[in-house]
Amino acid sequence: MAVIYRVNMSELSVRAEGPREGYRELGGRGLSSAIVAAEVPPGCHPLSAENKLVLAPGTLTGSGAPCAGRLSAGGKSPLTGTIKESNSGGTAAMALASLGIEAVVLEGKPRDNRLYRLIVNRDGVKIEPAETLGGLGNYETVGRQFEQFGERIACISIGPAGEMRAAAASIAVTDLEGRPTRHCGRGGLGAVMGSKGVKVIVVEPAGGERPKAADPAAFKAAVRNFAEALQKHPLTSQTLPTYGTNALANVINAAGAYPTRNFSQGQFEGTEAISGEHQHDVIAQRDGVIAHACHRGCTIRCSRIYVDEQGQYVTKGPEYETIWAHGADCGIDDLDAIAQMDRLDDDLGLDTIETGATIAVAMEAGVLRFGDVQGAIRLLEEVQKGTPLGRLVASGAAVLGKAYGVVRIPVVKGQSMPAYDPRAVQGIGVTYATSTMGADHTAGYAIAANVLGVGGRVDPLKPEGQVELSRNLQIATAAIDSAGLCLFVAFAVLDDPNALEALCDMFAALWGRPFTGDDLAALGKSVLACERRFNVAAGFTAAADRLPDFFTKEKLAPHNVTFTVPDEELDKVFDFVA
Amino acid sequence: MARIKLSLYASLRAAIGGKPSVELEIEPGQTIGDVLQRLGIPHNQARIVLVNSRHAALADPLQGGEQVAVFPAIGGG
Repeated sequence: MAVIYRVNMSELSVRAEGPREGYRELGGRGLSSAIVAAEVPPGCHPLSAENKLVLAPGTLTGSGAPCAGRLSAGGKSPLTGTIKESNSGGTAAMALASLGIEAVVLEGKPRDNRLYRLIVNRDGVKIEPAETLGGLGNYETVGRQFEQFGERIACISIGPAGEMRAAAASIAVTDLEGRPTRHCGRGGLGAVMGSKGVKVIVVEPAGGERPKAADPAAFKAAVRNFAEALQKHPLTSQTLPTYGTNALANVINAAGAYPTRNFSQGQFEGTEAISGEHQHDVIAQRDGVIAHACHRGCTIRCSRIYVDEQGQYVTKGPEYETIWAHGADCGIDDLDAIAQMDRLDDDLGLDTIETGATIAVAMEAGVLRFGDVQGAIRLLEEVQKGTPLGRLVASGAAVLGKAYGVVRIPVVKGQSMPAYDPRAVQGIGVTYATSTMGADHTAGYAIAANVLGVGGRVDPLKPEGQVELSRNLQIATAAIDSAGLCLFVAFAVLDDPNALEALCDMFAALWGRPFTGDDLAALGKSVLACERRFNVAAGFTAAADRLPDFFTKEKLAPHNVTFTVPDEELDKVFDFVA
Repeated sequence: MARIKLSLYASLRAAIGGKPSVELEIEPGQTIGDVLQRLGIPHNQARIVLVNSRHAALADPLQGGEQVAVFPAIGGG
């Protein structure tokens, strides 16, 4: 029996409810956004008792489908003020799904400002005081849970940044080694969890039962076909396992779209030293781990384990976006230092993209110089200490930039842009500008057709075709996020009709009814429509769907281009929303 | 004869001994595909081709002085 747990942190009570009209056949982002849109007042303060934090595995999570272990976190964002969905790999989504749990919804706010721990298992959800965990980093926090509960648990936790209710705070999810390395990073949902007084959620999956597919034999066959398609595509079977997400660094740099020194240039002279190829060689030389899965059932294995020169564990990956944010965007080409900052971010519970971008804005402001590795690390230590400067860093680029009078602040709706300059990849600029999430690459990954030649080809330097490209990708992504699938399956789905067919067949067998590509698009559109309506009700107008002014005025080398997609075109992205 | 700088990435680097790039002599008018063939790189492995940071095709001719970057299937993010 599927269940949604309502955890009321005002009353310190828990209520279990069965499938509710309006939430049926929804999971992941589809469910978290539906709950937030229906139940959270759009005008509320994100850190108030009225906001909710939804944690939901996808509809395919734990079903046997490969690469379906994403955990969706949803709420109103303290960073953007919009609806927010941020999803993560790790083991928690699988653990929740195996207990038949569709979502855990944190509601209200403790009246006593105390800190709590939730224990989720087959008997339900228990709320316990956890003040001894106050101020601890994610590593120590989850380490204590594994000591107490054994190896089979999964943890969802916040670090000091979340306790501080900082707008760049993430929610950490443990990986297969029990480390807090996977994060619902974007949009400050760690601060929402902190405002609910929840430090850690321990999930004990033992003894649970997940609802079965309506047609188990057809489901198994579709799973096999989908897995085969992932095995056939060169990206999901070769490049991602071998070189990881950071295989992108060189190609984005070569295309002149690698934001360098706070988006002032499109190519970084130190790229090779922080590239996926070099990262691969360093890890292999030091006997780290290449091709590492972040959860059971991941066949792509794009993660890796980074070790120091003595072979001691430092962190996972780090991933492409992190290496860029703490690297090229700050003028830093030292991979070991970047790995150290990734570890600090994970421990503090900070979004690596927002944090790196914020440090780059601090460099622009003259707080420290570009390329200053020790200075960048010191800024993270300021966060640890909770100093005023540290709190500015943990509040994101928009806040820090404003505090220091910076003009070039690369954010949309208050959220920092990731590792692609929208002037040299105009399609991703459309996604940054219009996404319901603020600047977010995953929301509609136009890089695929603009740069990588996946899912067609659209000239990255011209405005033509970008709106349609971004719209279609945003729709497809919303559907994939609802299934709990890793977005990287999209590389195969966009390129291979067999992969798309197998994906639809999985849904058909899961629910016991026909399901086509049109149904997938309808699902994606309905998710986006509900998010978009929330944002409109929260006060966002077309004026918020724009890139910062400097992208239309400052030319970016080497192509010497500005962002040229007209405003009236941007306003057509959501023309399917009534 | 003219010279180009060819940069190869990810699995393609094996064709130039693991180095990031090489300088090559070409006949003006030779295509990128011709150059890759000379290095024993199957054309179906060259998924992304950039000449002076702009997308190009294997059939495009080279004149000399270009920076050519060739990638296999790449993704991430």
